[in-house]
Amino acid sequence: MTSVSMRRVDEVPDKELLARHAQGDPHAFAELVHRHRDRMWAVALRTLGDPEEAADALQDACLSAFRAAGRFRGDAAVTTWLHRIVVNACLDRIRRKSVRPATPMGDDATFDAVAPKMPDPTDAHGVSLDVRTALEQLPFEQRAALVLVDMMGYSVDDAAQVMEVPPGTIKSRCARGRARLAPLLTHHRNRRGSENVGGVEGGGMPK
Amino acid sequence: MNPAHLDYDVLADLAEGLLEDDQAASVNAHLESCAECRDRSADLADVSRILAEAPVPSMPPELAERIDTAIAAESMHSATVVSMEQRRGRRHWRILSAAAATIVVLGGGATVGKIALDDSDGSGSQAATPPQDRARQHSAGGAAPNAAAPSESTMVKGAYKVTRSGTEYRAGRLGGQVDRLLGKGQELRLQGSAPSGAVSGCVAGVTRGRTPALVDRARYDGRDAIVIALPGAKDGGWDVWVVGPDCTAKDPHVLEHEPA
Repeated sequence: MTSVSMRRVDEVPDKELLARHAQGDPHAFAELVHRHRDRMWAVALRTLGDPEEAADALQDACLSAFRAAGRFRGDAAVTTWLHRIVVNACLDRIRRKSVRPATPMGDDATFDAVAPKMPDPTDAHGVSLDVRTALEQLPFEQRAALVLVDMMGYSVDDAAQVMEVPPGTIKSRCARGRARLAPLLTHHRNRRGSENVGGVEGGGMPK
Repeated sequence: MNPAHLDYDVLADLAEGLLEDDQAASVNAHLESCAECRDRSADLADVSRILAEAPVPSMPPELAERIDTAIAAESMHSATVVSMEQRRGRRHWRILSAAAATIVVLGGGATVGKIALDDSDGSGSQAATPPQDRARQHSAGGAAPNAAAPSESTMVKGAYKVTRSGTEYRAGRLGGQVDRLLGKGQELRLQGSAPSGAVSGCVAGVTRGRTPALVDRARYDGRDAIVIALPGAKDGGWDVWVVGPDCTAKDPHVLEHEPA
């Protein structure tokens, strides 16, 4: 599993935190979530597109992980396991949404007060929003594979572990997804002299 | 040479090594002679680059707080996970996450002590058990240490459990509702979970250190509340307090008090 975070040497390993949680340490799980929440959030938000759905999915995922911690067998990295739960929670959201209309909310004011505020500041570039819109055109499996491999930097093997499919399936989903995105993201490229790119993505790699 | 241009699918498969050898060879041969298809191939590489360069969103602080609250709530009643699972809907968590939950507390005497006490030995004498011992027994169960409790002597944490009966408490009917609940003592005892630091501080403050017969995270007049019940001075009555979910030792946020 790719680990991007800078970890201090004396930091308690993820597996140890999970074991402490399973033994009843009331703080261990919160610490674990705290450690990985930004990446978990990125996966959920990018996979679902909608911040509100993503927030619900992430909360579902955290609670599922809390309850399932005792069943973690330690054959995968904790982050792999956590991301698998996040991806599954996202998939659950999508399935539920397609089966029945949104449930009425009890207290909109209450929810509004805690709903994550979007758009995020990065939208100032216009980049992430366009990428998000493009990703929404993809079927869930392709989107999730590209989020993990291309966006989060996971190896194909790690992504395969997260999604519990063979590596070849991940490769194929990534290939299908990229093929679909290629015509949608043309405006991000300056390679062929298009003028409407600049800013952060303007300095692309020379081909 | 194949005169037709290659589509993105074939090129994407080539890049992932998914083509059969002979097909890959013919695609590569075409690419050598076709600038347009090389451009298309580069488009695909750009897709990965663009995705990789998209700014990583950081979790909004409101969501971080909401998830911390949900995890804390889950810690409090993790013993009842299975039975609660079915009843817990999306709405439930939204309300919880807003920390709008309320608590009901009932006080512990000889008759109800068995219900509330974690390690019931059937005696009516737990009021005599040093609170420190009870607290210790409980911390073995994983409860958080409570910094909010005023002192060791008023800290009765561990001598009771926090239940989630699902009761909709109503003004004027509190005593009767508590009575009915405690009739199902065994069940309540099994379903309770250790009070969190904040809740035990709140309960200790409300009961002035006495052991409650019931602490129930439920609803009161349509809002989340904690109901705390103590046995009344007279037989059979309940001294019932309804407090807000944000109840602390310092500020119990009492919504209702129905004396025995």
